[in-house]
Amino acid sequence: MNTLTAKDVCKSYGSKEVLKHLNLTLEPGCIYGLIGRNGAGKTTLLGILTGQNPMNSGSVTFDGQPVWENQSVLNHICFSRELNSMSILGQNNLKVKEYLRAASIYYPCWDKEYANRLTAEFGVDQKKKVCKLSKGQMSMVTIVIALASRAPITILDEPVAGLDVVARERFYQLLLEDFAQTNRTFVVSTHIIEEAAGVFEKVIILDEGAILEDCPTEDLVRQFHYISGRDEEVDRACAGLNVLVTETMGRHKAVTVRCEEGDLRRLEGFDVDVAPLNLQKVFVALCGHKEGDLHE
Amino acid sequence: MNGTLNDQTSIYLQIAQNLENDLLRGIYLEEEQVPSTNELARRYNINPATAAKGINLLVADGILYKKRGIGMFVAAGACEKVRGKRKTAFFDSYVKEMIKESRRLGISPAELMGMVAKAAGAEQEEEEE
Repeated sequence: MNTLTAKDVCKSYGSKEVLKHLNLTLEPGCIYGLIGRNGAGKTTLLGILTGQNPMNSGSVTFDGQPVWENQSVLNHICFSRELNSMSILGQNNLKVKEYLRAASIYYPCWDKEYANRLTAEFGVDQKKKVCKLSKGQMSMVTIVIALASRAPITILDEPVAGLDVVARERFYQLLLEDFAQTNRTFVVSTHIIEEAAGVFEKVIILDEGAILEDCPTEDLVRQFHYISGRDEEVDRACAGLNVLVTETMGRHKAVTVRCEEGDLRRLEGFDVDVAPLNLQKVFVALCGHKEGDLHE
Repeated sequence: MNGTLNDQTSIYLQIAQNLENDLLRGIYLEEEQVPSTNELARRYNINPATAAKGINLLVADGILYKKRGIGMFVAAGACEKVRGKRKTAFFDSYVKEMIKESRRLGISPAELMGMVAKAAGAEQEEEEE
């Protein structure tokens, strides 16, 4: 129950292909992290998953029912979009209070008391107009909408953009507290990867409109290793391994490899240092290729 | 973010290790309840599934056990088990590494033994003072 499935989704803006035959299943009771570079198609994907943007071909279903223009399904889904002071959309001229009231009408499980408590904790003045808020306060409003919607599938697009480190930490605490109570599905997109890595049970990496990885965060991260030492020794140690990134400085060489635990045992006989990578570095190793091309 | 955790080791392993440390320090006594998955998730700001994985590791080792409907408890003899586990880990990650490093530096076995004896002696003197 409460499974959201995208099948063979294609989306183009003009001649630019944004999503390419994308397949994705969101299982219930899981916190997903969605990461990808600027322009990878994250927001477009989230809009399509929640029936807010049209697609060119493919399907999105919730427990087998189409999402598009289907109110009974949309009642279960919340997509809290980023607010933007430059937007000409109507919400900017609303007061925070009015924006929250609109959300309370739209989301059938809306928890008004929770919304007020969160707004007060973040110190957002409900009488202010949305467009007069700072970037951080706008993010706080999107967080309030997402959490108070109590929707079984709740999607947050860059909820921590513009938030200071204390507020970001508090957001992840609130998210985990809510998750402990409700066990609903969350999808959180972010560019501040490392501090969120422990919160994400699964991570989805979107690169150039395609899903590059979709698996438990821990399972992904432990496949990557940073091996460094004298160049010849590193070459011998890593022969036959899947090398993603290579850096050399004189006789010193460091490589990022992706391999299974069993492959790592062969490194024991070599005079090289082996270090783990964190999720952020894994992401750079997988998606930093364009930058690499520029340097070469 | 998650204050006392680092990114050198998998988070669930660190959760297990930190609980083991707490056992050795007497923060949790045998037959006492340890924090729940959700409490650990809140303390470290991590996903509860990850916290559960760490706890399950200690259950598999017989260090913790589950009381149905109540929570996780410290097994009898848990501290001894943790010490045994740590001794094995000490041999693998400290002693073997020490030998490796000493070879790299060209320290002879006799010299190394002398160093160990000297360090142990210095430690003892400090204790006596």
